[in-house]
Amino acid sequence: MKKNIIACVLTVVAVLSFSVFASAEEGKFPLQQFGRMAILESGRIKPIDTYARHVLLQFSGKTTYERKPALAWLARVIFTPTQTRDDKVFLINNAEIAHALGVTAESKRRYSFAQLEKGFHQLEMLAASANQIEPKSRSVVENEILRTFENLVLYLGLTDSFSFAVPHVDFSISSGNVVRMLQLPETQKEFTFLEIALHSDLIRPVADSLTAKNSSDWTEDEREIFRILSNMYQWSQYFRHLPLMVIPSEGNHEQNWLSPWDAMAQEFHSEKIKKEIIFLAELTRGYQDKQPIVFDLAAKKFSDSVRQRTSDVRSMRYIDLELSYNRAGYFVFSHIFYWLSFLAFIAFAVNGKLNLRFASFMFLILGFIPHTAGLIFRIIILGRPPVTSLYETFVFVAWMSVLLGIIIEKVNRKWLGNIVGSIAGVLLLIIAGKFSSDGDTMKMLVAVLNSNFWLGIHVPTITMGYAACCVAGIIGHAYIIQAIAHPQDTAQLRATYKTLLMSLGLGLTLSFFGTMLGGIWADQSWGRFWGWDPKENGALLIVIWCIIIFHARIANMLDELGVAAASIFGIVIVAWAWFGVNLLSVGLHSYGFTSGVAAGLIGYVAAQVVFLIAGVFWARKRLKI
Amino acid sequence: MLDKIKSLRIMRTLSSVKWAVFCLLALFILVFAGTVYQAEYGLYLAQERFFNSFVFLLFGFLPFPGAQLVLWILFVNLTAAAITRFQYKWSKIGLTVIHGGILLFFISAFVTFYYSFESNLTLNEGESSNVSAAYHNWEISAWEKATGKKSVIAYDADHLNSNAVLRFDDLGFSLTVKNYYPNSAAFSESDKKDAVRNSSGISILEERPVDHDPVKNIPSGKFVLTQANSPSQDIILFGGDMLPTQITAGAKHYELVLRRKRFELPFAVKLVDFRMTKHPNTEMAKSFESTVEVQTPLASREVIISMNNPLRHNDFTFYQASYSIGRNGEETSTLAVVKNKGRVLPYIATIVTFLGLVFHFSVSLYRMRAKDPA
Repeated sequence: MKKNIIACVLTVVAVLSFSVFASAEEGKFPLQQFGRMAILESGRIKPIDTYARHVLLQFSGKTTYERKPALAWLARVIFTPTQTRDDKVFLINNAEIAHALGVTAESKRRYSFAQLEKGFHQLEMLAASANQIEPKSRSVVENEILRTFENLVLYLGLTDSFSFAVPHVDFSISSGNVVRMLQLPETQKEFTFLEIALHSDLIRPVADSLTAKNSSDWTEDEREIFRILSNMYQWSQYFRHLPLMVIPSEGNHEQNWLSPWDAMAQEFHSEKIKKEIIFLAELTRGYQDKQPIVFDLAAKKFSDSVRQRTSDVRSMRYIDLELSYNRAGYFVFSHIFYWLSFLAFIAFAVNGKLNLRFASFMFLILGFIPHTAGLIFRIIILGRPPVTSLYETFVFVAWMSVLLGIIIEKVNRKWLGNIVGSIAGVLLLIIAGKFSSDGDTMKMLVAVLNSNFWLGIHVPTITMGYAACCVAGIIGHAYIIQAIAHPQDTAQLRATYKTLLMSLGLGLTLSFFGTMLGGIWADQSWGRFWGWDPKENGALLIVIWCIIIFHARIANMLDELGVAAASIFGIVIVAWAWFGVNLLSVGLHSYGFTSGVAAGLIGYVAAQVVFLIAGVFWARKRLKI
Repeated sequence: MLDKIKSLRIMRTLSSVKWAVFCLLALFILVFAGTVYQAEYGLYLAQERFFNSFVFLLFGFLPFPGAQLVLWILFVNLTAAAITRFQYKWSKIGLTVIHGGILLFFISAFVTFYYSFESNLTLNEGESSNVSAAYHNWEISAWEKATGKKSVIAYDADHLNSNAVLRFDDLGFSLTVKNYYPNSAAFSESDKKDAVRNSSGISILEERPVDHDPVKNIPSGKFVLTQANSPSQDIILFGGDMLPTQITAGAKHYELVLRRKRFELPFAVKLVDFRMTKHPNTEMAKSFESTVEVQTPLASREVIISMNNPLRHNDFTFYQASYSIGRNGEETSTLAVVKNKGRVLPYIATIVTFLGLVFHFSVSLYRMRAKDPA
């Protein structure tokens, strides 16, 4: 029978992996080498693939466009900008902003650049006035205006960033003499900025001689040369400070990366950089002419050249690893398996077949493996513990809770661990997903956090404390439901209760140690162990709550059911310490508090209170106490 | 004797676990309320109201114990329990160690709260100083001008009441407080310039509401200067005065100033160099560090102070707190200076309590498994 279960589970795995590989094959144009190119953005060197995901996520709230990967969309924006004018990628949540920009509101809330272009000036003015307001007191609408404006500016920047490699009428030369002088192919009429720039030394003497002559005496050829050179100057002035910093500066290749336009303006004298820019032009041509081989090869040559110059930079070594991390979607797999584990458990609870319980455990383990792998990859890529943003802490706490679930299942061997692990995994990864929509989940850290030692011991300890307290709370739910469903099975109730106490003890130990380690870190960096700061207070509340439960139990103020109920309330406190406090610092009086997270938190607390009151009442009746 | 104490009824009451539970609940409410309060009123006021106080009015009408009172009761409760209730036997060693650690926390809180001070030292590159300044405590200081070694007489200015008299007997004058404002603005009126004595030409003071951030308060006061053999005179001292106010008594000249409280350090600190690095292509600081020279009469040494990496010298600890870069690129570094004799106590308490917890819960787990093998 067990064999059948394993066979079923393996089938599910096979189907899932096939679907993933199938989706990776999508998009005919070979973008692997392009996605592998490195870019410096928000202080971190990352593959363009990651960058594309963040930009598209920031624009549209999704990481794919028309079911194609973000990278394919970004390539179109950069290389064939005019074709993306009608792509509906700009997410505007407020219909009133769309109206203000003269666009009829779309049901999917996503608009194209062509739609928004007419209102751009209006948007610019709105954004300028929103910018006057302090970030804390901006309303939702004002934030949305700024976001939309920044997105449009970034889009425009992206569309211009490779324009040096596209032939333009500004650089069309009608005089054969001038073309010959520039040693450019005579068959061509329009040239690119780069082509002229590469040969501009050849016409420099003519240009220099013009200053001595009266402009009315200039020949046709001389006029042509003057026109081209002044266009060159105007272009180089206009296209400054654009995005896409893909070229490491010769002088400081670790800190200072340049966009192609800036690289041409500042370091064109360097042969290596000149070569890299030529590769980028080949890349553009390959894409526009639909020549996959030229495109792929140019991307590879460019990357090789950059890599050779930056071989001593740490993060360059992990570009490929990050790419595979992006592709694999480890946490998506984990999430699916945790769902399956949960569903298998529910089926087990309904019909009591032990095979289903076994399947539930198998799925839990299967989810845990990619979860662990994903975390390890993040640690290697970023070179720091995976607990520096809310997103990461949710992923980490989910991992820890599933681990505790697995341990409980190994110890308890009944069913408790399955439900604890799968519920925690499913719910926490859902919340993590909400937090990942900010864009880059691998951000740089402010100075005080930039200490791997303290970050590595304090934050994981405290978040493991969160996990243990959450697990205790989930067991509390299980206890109450068990008391209602099977009040006569006291042995089982007792076993659940003891596991609950152990989780709570672990929660207390880890939360206490984590909080005090935080105090020691604060003493090391600010000179005070304790300052009643909101984050410290939040952690302290968890510790105090655990201590209260243990002492109230000794003083006979709480019975078993009471301890279970108090543990459930413990999750509310953990939620408060974990992210409720962060909402508070945004300011209770600003609109920030009505954002999705806060609404979710309030909804959760309300649901929890209802469960507690109804559950405890009913359980008391069933247990006859 | 000990048994006699143990059997006292009052000891049984004082050591009750119920007390602990109620105190912890009160502490829970205080910590939560103190956090929410901070969002609106700032850290300093929250600390004063909820944590440093003995009693305060919750919601403005409900008398509620402050954290200081609650912690004192908990301390008494725990001490009484340690005398009467604890079972000192090997099977309970984990619990004993945990509570021993908690007692240590109480002691370290006491030492830190009553016997430590915090101040700050702001230095330009190349500058050296042995005087650090408080964040928001003020003093009125006077000294004789142009003597070699300054001997300064200072009065604490934080709690000055009207009509209080500050006597500078050695200098031959005294000040009587007319008005004192913890936060204020100052103005000058050209026609009344000579009526009041002040180094910045201030003649009018205006009281301002006290700021939530105590660092932002600029106090000021109007005083009557009384000297032997001369008529009394009005004098204004403003926290924002750039120069001390001059006084002449007899043939001698004195200087008088209202300033942030000064602390003299037993050694001097010189800022040799300040450096800041940013994350590439961003404005986000990656690290700051100051190279300083500690100059004692006997020797001097150079040390680098950076975030998370303070300098310790005697009982003093110096932290990288803040910095500024002027228009011409001149760099200034602010170091927090903390003197705390009890600073290692919480470290020890943390380790003791943690080990106790680990031991206690491991033993419980082991016993639970032994009792009912699954």
